[in-house]
Amino acid sequence: MLALLGGVFLGWSLGANDAANCFGSAVASRMVRFWTAAGLCAACVVLGALLEGQAGIETLKSLTQIDLEQAVVITVAAAVTVTIMTLFGLPVSTSQAAVGAILGIGFFNQEINVAGLGKVVACWFGTPVGAMLICMLLYKLLAAGYNRLTVSIFRADSLLRIGLIAAGCYASYALGANNVANATAVFVGAGMLTVFQAALIGGLSIAFGVLTYSRGVMETVGTKLVRLDPFSALVVVLAEGLTVHFYTLLGVPVSTSQAVVGAVLGIGILKGAATIKRKTLYGILVGWFLTPPVACFIAMCIYFAIHLEYVAR
Amino acid sequence: MFSFLFKKENQLNNLISNYLENLVKTQEHFVKAMDTCLDEGICGEFAFLIEQTHKFESKADDIRDEINYLMYSRALIPESREDVMNLIEQVEIIPRIFELILHLIRTQKIKIPDFVMSEMKDLIRMSVESCDLMIKQIDLMLKNRQGIRALMTTIDHNESHCDHIERSLMTKVFDSSLDPIHKIQLKELIIAMGEVSDQADRVSKRVNIMVLKRRV
Repeated sequence: MLALLGGVFLGWSLGANDAANCFGSAVASRMVRFWTAAGLCAACVVLGALLEGQAGIETLKSLTQIDLEQAVVITVAAAVTVTIMTLFGLPVSTSQAAVGAILGIGFFNQEINVAGLGKVVACWFGTPVGAMLICMLLYKLLAAGYNRLTVSIFRADSLLRIGLIAAGCYASYALGANNVANATAVFVGAGMLTVFQAALIGGLSIAFGVLTYSRGVMETVGTKLVRLDPFSALVVVLAEGLTVHFYTLLGVPVSTSQAVVGAVLGIGILKGAATIKRKTLYGILVGWFLTPPVACFIAMCIYFAIHLEYVAR
Repeated sequence: MFSFLFKKENQLNNLISNYLENLVKTQEHFVKAMDTCLDEGICGEFAFLIEQTHKFESKADDIRDEINYLMYSRALIPESREDVMNLIEQVEIIPRIFELILHLIRTQKIKIPDFVMSEMKDLIRMSVESCDLMIKQIDLMLKNRQGIRALMTTIDHNESHCDHIERSLMTKVFDSSLDPIHKIQLKELIIAMGEVSDQADRVSKRVNIMVLKRRV
C-alpha cells in the first residue's frame, strides 16, 4: 500500500489546488460557506471519479507499459514537479505533470503510444481555446435569458447564487471524472489496482485534498474570479465544467486551471476588458510549456538514480 | 415548493418594504407638523408631531440595522449587498432632514412670515411629492418592473422646480425688512427644505444606476 502514497499525495494536492476553480468565486465572495462548498465539492469529485473516471484511466495507462516500481516513480516525479512549479509561483497542471512523467518512463522502456500521446497533447491545446469559445457562447445565451427575467431583484440574486453552486458542483464532478486518472491510472497500468479501485482511491484522495487544504487557495485564488461580476463568474465555472467534462468523455485528462483561464479570457474578449494581467498570462504560458518536460526529466532522473549500482574495484 | 431556497431574500424584501412604509409614516408626520406650524405656529400639537416624526425616524434606524445584519448573513450577492446598503444610507438622509427642519423651527422658534407662506407650502408639497415618487421608484426596482427612468425624469423635474422656489424664497426673505437674525434663520430653514428634493433626486439617480448595473 505504501506504493500508493505518491498517487494519493498527487490526488491530495490536486484537490487542494483545483477546488478553487470550482467554488473559489462563491466562497471568496462569501456567497457560500467554505464547509458547504468543500463538502459539495468533495462529494461531487468522488461521484465523478466513480461514474466517469474510467475513460481517463484507460487513456493514461495505455500511454506506455509500466511495472509497479515505474508507477511509483511516475507519481513521485509528478508530485515533485507540481511542488517545484508551485514553489516558483508558476501555475501547474497535474495532468501535464502526470503525462510528462509517464513519457519519461516511456523513453526508458522505449515504448510510447504515439497516437494516444498525440490525442492528449491536442486536447491540451484545445482546453483553453475550447473553454474560451464555450464561455463566449454561454455568456450570450444566458445573458439573453437573464436580462428577460421578470422576477424581483432579490429573487434574481438567489437564482444567480443557486446557479453558481450548481455550476460549482458540476465543475467538481467534471474535475473528479477527468483528473482522477492523474493520481492513480499508473497503478492500473502496473496491475496493482482495478479501474474501479483506482477511481475510488483517486477520488477519495482528491476529496481529502479539498476538505483539508483547499480553504486558503479558495479564498485567495478565488478572488481572481471575483473581480468578474457574479454572472460572469457563473458562466466561467459552467464553461470550465462543460469543457473538462467534454474531455472526460474523450478520455483525456486536462487542466481545470487552463480551462478557467480560457473562459476568463473569453469574458474579456466579449466585454473588451483585460480580465487577466499580461504577467499572469505569461506565467500560465511558461507553466503550460515547462510542466511536461520538467516532469519527464524528473521521472527519468529518479528512475536512473534508483538503478545506479555501486561497483567496487 | 422551493420557497425555502429564497427565505432570506423574502425576509429582506419584507424588511425593505417595512422600511419604506416607515419612511412614508415619517413623511406624513412631518407634513402634519409643518401644516400645524404654518397654520398655528409652534404649539403643543406641533411638539407632539415632532416626537412622532422622531419615533419613526428611530424605527427606520432599527430596520436598517436588521437589513444590514440579514444581508451579511449571506443574503444576496456581494454587489447587491453593497448597492442596497448604499441605497438605504442615502434614503435615510431624508427623514433626518425632516427632523432637522422641525428641530430648527422648534429650537430657534422660527416664525414663518405671511409673504413666504404660500411658497413654503409649495416647496413642502413638491419635496414630499418627490419623496413619494422616489419610494415608488425603489418599489419598482425591487420588483424589477418598468418605469424607473420615467420616474427619475419626473423627480429631476421636481428638483429643478424646488430649486426655483428656493431661490425665489431667498430673494423675498432678503428683500424684506425682517430682522437680520430672522433672515438668517429663514435662510437656514429654506436650505434644509430644499435639500429634501435634492436628496430624493440623488437617490432616484442611484436607483437608475443600480438597474443599469444589473443588466449583463
